[in-house]
Amino acid sequence: MIARMLQDASKRQRRATGVAIVLAVLAAIAGVGLLAVSGWFLTGAAIAGAAGAVAARGFNYLLPSAGIRAFAIIRTLGRYGERLFSHRAAFFALADVRPALFGRLAGAEPGAVFARPSGEVAAQLGSDVDALEDAVVRWVTLPGALAGAATGLVACLLAGPWSAAALLAGLASMRIASRGVVPGLLAAQVRRRADAMTRLKSAYAEYAACSAEIAVYGLVPQIVEVMEMDVEELEASRLAIVRLETMAQGGQRVLAAVTVAGVLALASGGAPLAAAAALAGAAAAEAWTGLVRTDLNRPRVDDALSRLENMASLPPRAPHHDELERLARAPLRFASEGCECVVEPGGRLLIGGPSGKGKTRLLGTLMGLRADAPQQVDIGGTEVRELGLETLRKLFAQAPQDASLIAGTVADNLRLARQGVTEADMWAVLETACLAETVRALPDGLDQWLGGDGARLSGGQRKRLSLARVLLAQRPWIVLDEPSEGLDSATERLLARNLAGWLDRTGTGMILVSHREGLHHLAGMTFAL
Amino acid sequence: MVVTLVPFGVGMAFAGLAGKAEAERQLEALSRLSGLFVDRVATLPIVLSFGAEDRVARQIGEAAREVASRTMQVLRMAFLSSAVLEFFAALSVALVAVYCGFSLLGLLPFPAPEDLTLGRAFFALALAPEFYLGMRRMAAAYHDKQQGEAAEASIAAALQQAEAHRAAEPVPAVACVSRLSVAGLEVTYADDNRIGPFSADWQGPGLHALTGLTGAGKSSLLHALIGMTPAMTGTVTLDGAAIAPASLAALAGWAGQRPLLLPGTLRENLLLGSPDGGVDLLPLLEACGLSSLIGERGFDLAIDPRGSGLSGGERRRIGLVRAIASGRPLLLLDEPTADLDSETARRVSDLIETVSRDRLVIAATHDAGLAGCAASVVVLS
Repeated sequence: MIARMLQDASKRQRRATGVAIVLAVLAAIAGVGLLAVSGWFLTGAAIAGAAGAVAARGFNYLLPSAGIRAFAIIRTLGRYGERLFSHRAAFFALADVRPALFGRLAGAEPGAVFARPSGEVAAQLGSDVDALEDAVVRWVTLPGALAGAATGLVACLLAGPWSAAALLAGLASMRIASRGVVPGLLAAQVRRRADAMTRLKSAYAEYAACSAEIAVYGLVPQIVEVMEMDVEELEASRLAIVRLETMAQGGQRVLAAVTVAGVLALASGGAPLAAAAALAGAAAAEAWTGLVRTDLNRPRVDDALSRLENMASLPPRAPHHDELERLARAPLRFASEGCECVVEPGGRLLIGGPSGKGKTRLLGTLMGLRADAPQQVDIGGTEVRELGLETLRKLFAQAPQDASLIAGTVADNLRLARQGVTEADMWAVLETACLAETVRALPDGLDQWLGGDGARLSGGQRKRLSLARVLLAQRPWIVLDEPSEGLDSATERLLARNLAGWLDRTGTGMILVSHREGLHHLAGMTFAL
Repeated sequence: MVVTLVPFGVGMAFAGLAGKAEAERQLEALSRLSGLFVDRVATLPIVLSFGAEDRVARQIGEAAREVASRTMQVLRMAFLSSAVLEFFAALSVALVAVYCGFSLLGLLPFPAPEDLTLGRAFFALALAPEFYLGMRRMAAAYHDKQQGEAAEASIAAALQQAEAHRAAEPVPAVACVSRLSVAGLEVTYADDNRIGPFSADWQGPGLHALTGLTGAGKSSLLHALIGMTPAMTGTVTLDGAAIAPASLAALAGWAGQRPLLLPGTLRENLLLGSPDGGVDLLPLLEACGLSSLIGERGFDLAIDPRGSGLSGGERRRIGLVRAIASGRPLLLLDEPTADLDSETARRVSDLIETVSRDRLVIAATHDAGLAGCAASVVVLS
């Protein structure tokens, strides 16, 4: 699946890729040509010079010296263009893969995508796509290396078939050494490094948030001890990787030197041609070593590809239920052992109960984002788990406990609610959510960049922005999880009054979870867990 | 070869500076746009629940293309600088080859300073690319060096900040804090975002509440008391003597919004603040409604740092029990009753009130019940 996506995206970049390949081939040929002609010219000149002034004047130096300059320029421009076009092709191809991949994830069952915390899944996915980008950039190295090798072989053929055979054998052994051995040895270490890094990062983030406690109780030694094992693991795997990489590259150089010696020893047809063959062989081997980088990256790319494949091939979600009209006007029924609660459309329900009883889980199930709540919830007689996210999200708009803001501006967050939100709409809901004044005070107002997860706002402000977003969504029900947590009681009272007015005006129903009593009077009934 | 070095240097400097300027110009936009994909995947549940995935996918595509074209602008300059290197490397090979060739032919238009043989000419040709190899390596390392320096500077700044708050002299351990006061305490965060000034006078033992609007700085004030804020002015006085706030850390027990959990058992985590052990935890756990957790899962329940399997309220109460069990004479509590249902919140308030009979307890809270038990309430605005 991910291979198909990449193929489709690369097809659209055919031209840039084509240009990059042509330039890579030209640069490689010019690189080999530069050294081969230089060697031939030098040796020829030395022989002619030794033969006397007449022979020297008869030596055609114009053509080779012009060729040398031309090769030098072609090699430079070719390399520059190759890098430019190969990067362009890769970047724009992956720019198409990202939304396509997002589309696949969005079309799958959310529970399957987020088996781990969503931030971790997202970070892994981001770095996997980046790894893929590197791999695509390197696609053009193979044609370049092949062209360099072919040019080298042609130059060697001029010095006889045996010297060409020596080059061929040398290049083949370089390839076998690199492709056959390196990825296998590296893979385990690369995985070790990635795992240690992931563990360290999450531990670091976790402990950094508790810095006050660490300072107060003097827990630094304990924290260092807890993290030490992963730090050692990280360093050991990095060292092993560097060792393997150096060995791989050093091995290639040794093989290249042996190859050049072989080419020189087996060359025939005179000193100038032998010199040309040896230098061409050296340049061809140099171009060939470019492939080692690809081999070194292979374990990381393979890992990334297999993880992306798992993500991209998740089965699609259940389709939409077609009774939306009826469901929008149907009552909601919550039931657990010995307790039942029916809310008519436009009604208001408080879900109560001590902390740790699974209120957040129940709301997630109601929304179709998960399915593990032990209670029964049905709408007009149909269990919500049968309806699925596709239908439920047209009935409910939810402000979750963690506020869930996207990285962007205030307006970006509000526009998530539905298509065609105007600025006037935004200000109206911000007023209702008691946040308009705060937003007006921001330097860029609605267009204020908030950072990841609304970092510029306080906890309570984040909650109210999330609430404002729900009010924009125009769904028959709003679902609020602790909307006033982190608010002072004066603001909470104002919010309760605004919210009651808004609910009356729009006839929207509400499902509320709140520990705080300030909002409890809004609800007409309570479902206790 | 030496002659080519001068234009090489000029070309390098020019390309390097242009590349750096271009990279800096694009930095902010690039970092915002390139983080978009990861952010939207992380926030996928909320995107899905509003049915906004098609719009967001379009936005991701646009942002990714924008990133691609901006990155290309940066790379064009970066590649130019390496092309300059390449060009001079190639040119030097060409010049050396032509010079040596002409010298061997005896056709140089000027008297040659040396007499070349074929072997020496070859040697010169073979070494020509090496002449620039070091420069090319340096150019590659230059980028790493810049990154390294930026990282070093930010680490140094963080360390300096931490150093500035280190306790100058340890405060002698006291059994009881009878008076703690702050005057004109002002905290300055990044972007010149100021909080304060705060003034308060707390008598111990007793319970004192900090209330006020969201964002008024309750957490900041608590952090300032133990010197955990970036920059601050004002004075802190303990039992009549002015002290550096950081030295209060050794006297304080702390229960924050998200208590620390270390890998280990539940008992070890509860006793993190009391290294000597020997504290009877059961009455404390009983008093704040955690005894059922112990009853069901035991003191040896394995804890991981993310707190999997613990609710927000349970985690918060673990932090509270830890702070009380530490036996420190000063307790700083940040929203100790948040995330709790009203029955549990009442029990926790009772426990805090009991503890405050022989210690100085300062609690930031929105909970009117808890604030009602307090001997003094400081309202921050």
